[in-house]
Amino acid sequence: MALVLHTYKGNKSADKALIAAEYVGVQIDVPSDFQMGVTNKTPEFLKMNPIGKVPVLETPEGSVFESNAIARYVSRLNGGENSLNGSSLIEYAQIEQWSDFASLEIYGNTLRWFGPRMGFMPYSAPAEEGTISALKRALDALNTHLASNTYLVGHSITLADIITVCNLNLGFATVMTKKFTSEFPHVERYFWTVINQPNFKKVVGEVKQTEAVPPVASKKAAQPAKPKEEPKKKEAPAAEAPKLAEEEEAPKPKAKNPLDLLPPSPMVLDDWKRLYSNTKSNFRGVAIKGFWDMYDPEGYSLWFCDYKYNDENMVSFVTLNKVGGFLQRMDLARKYSFGKMLICGSEGPFKVTGLWLFRGPEIPKFIMDEVYDMELYEWTKVDISDEAQKERVSQMIEDAEPFEGEALLDAKCFK
Amino acid sequence: MALVLHTYKGNKGAFKALVAAEYAGVKIEEAADFQMGVTNKSPEFLKMNPIGKVPVLETPEGAIFESNAIARYVSRKNGENSLNGSSLIEYAQIEQWIDFSSLEIDANMLKWFAPRLGYAPFSAPAEEAAISALKRGLEALNTHLASNTYLVGHSVTLADIVTICNLNLGFATVMTKKFTSAFPHVERYFWTMVNQPNFKKVLGDAKQTDAVPPVPTKKAAAQPAKPKEEPKKAVQLLHLLIRE
Repeated sequence: MALVLHTYKGNKSADKALIAAEYVGVQIDVPSDFQMGVTNKTPEFLKMNPIGKVPVLETPEGSVFESNAIARYVSRLNGGENSLNGSSLIEYAQIEQWSDFASLEIYGNTLRWFGPRMGFMPYSAPAEEGTISALKRALDALNTHLASNTYLVGHSITLADIITVCNLNLGFATVMTKKFTSEFPHVERYFWTVINQPNFKKVVGEVKQTEAVPPVASKKAAQPAKPKEEPKKKEAPAAEAPKLAEEEEAPKPKAKNPLDLLPPSPMVLDDWKRLYSNTKSNFRGVAIKGFWDMYDPEGYSLWFCDYKYNDENMVSFVTLNKVGGFLQRMDLARKYSFGKMLICGSEGPFKVTGLWLFRGPEIPKFIMDEVYDMELYEWTKVDISDEAQKERVSQMIEDAEPFEGEALLDAKCFK
Repeated sequence: MALVLHTYKGNKGAFKALVAAEYAGVKIEEAADFQMGVTNKSPEFLKMNPIGKVPVLETPEGAIFESNAIARYVSRKNGENSLNGSSLIEYAQIEQWIDFSSLEIDANMLKWFAPRLGYAPFSAPAEEAAISALKRGLEALNTHLASNTYLVGHSVTLADIVTICNLNLGFATVMTKKFTSAFPHVERYFWTMVNQPNFKKVLGDAKQTDAVPPVPTKKAAAQPAKPKEEPKKAVQLLHLLIRE
């Protein structure tokens, strides 16, 4: 059995072990069917790492979590005869000191700067100021050391360099612009030299320094909050500008959407959306009645969805952000859908449940393909001949409270 | 030249190295006349640790900073012992728990504790997130300790020393009995370990706080924010209070 590294693609922390493996001459398999948020929630995975985070290394002797620990393990394989761990006790200890320093002082502060801007954690200007200050203090110390040292310890690459450069890479890719790092010229020299070493390049590929700090996420743009796991590909922050306008028009794909080729339906989705938005009183008598009057079960379908991992929903604003992120990503389907997402409960774990109206008899395939949140929910088609299910639909449209005996933390509408 | 540990008294980071030293039979002197905020700003000190934090271990071969790194050095100083496991996988798993306890437990506990003492800006949503993350970490640790007496193998390793010293700060400052009762295996583990002779020698009588420190008023919150250094001052004071 080979070594298997469980992680999502592009995890800069996983790079550490993979680079160490290049130096040591060890093979590590990275399964491509790993699904973040799914694979790492299975009982098998949690046996390997009870906190369910990535990366995790599976070995014939047992599993290892924590990216630095994995890198240390890998660095000692194949007899451990290599220069990654220094050649004396003091060198070893100093490698450890820089590894911890990189994690606590550099990575920790980078994440606290980047995470809130992406909506993974609560944003606060004084906290960000404190974090940037702490990061600068750390980079200053590192800069001082690298003024007279080519590598962190000794005269060649050690595990400390692998860990530190991978940690710096997150910062360079996301929040540390050239203007910011120019204050630390020795760190810049060090970073670019090391990341261009063949064993690094093989794993990390082309590295580009970010040109701008991501803007502060508005409440609506906030994505699901799992700081250590989910800050992913560097395209994600730059590319996903919040789309807040209610009157959004058709999604971008110029190719014909199969839903446009369905036989015409008497129900016009926009009429429903207008009725929903404009009914200010007697909602049940006007909007709900109007909905069932105009509903076309041939041309449209109704679906309930239930979040599969409600036990995670312990923090109110994190849960709300998660749902908000889902609705952001549904933007490409706006022309063909209407949804209500209810967040129920007066304290954690909050229950997330939803009601969706889609054009066509099935959940549109392009939505299943493009919106990764879809697989985090159980989907059941509504049977409108069942009065209880019909009533549930009505209650979800009108934000009935209590809903199924619970208070509503929030009800989000996708229209 | 002996090994000299530069730190203020009561620093949980220093405790890790001192407990490891008891297990490894290593002698460590604590630097006399150390003054927090003074000694660690001198040029001599900054040569040892350019970021000027504590603890720092001075050895005949060179200096080491970062409390976990110091503990690792000390654990290996006198050659082989059981602190680092007896196989490569055991060693790796010791390292995994050391990092876990620093990143998932200690870091979140500090994010809860420091703002309440005015050492970092206080924000209710940030605290809520920190407590939630801490609970998630303790939950995972609790699961592991349901069927394991020690973190790795069948005796104390460096993972236990680091984790217990981190937990000790949490128990002393913000984690009340009500809070930790959700993690009974962690409680079992904690109280058994802190009462081992080598731990007791260094930590003294471990005590659990009765209450969470109150949220600072705006005036208290306007103190300089140096999260990693000054919460330790508060802990120092807290420890003095507890010992009395």
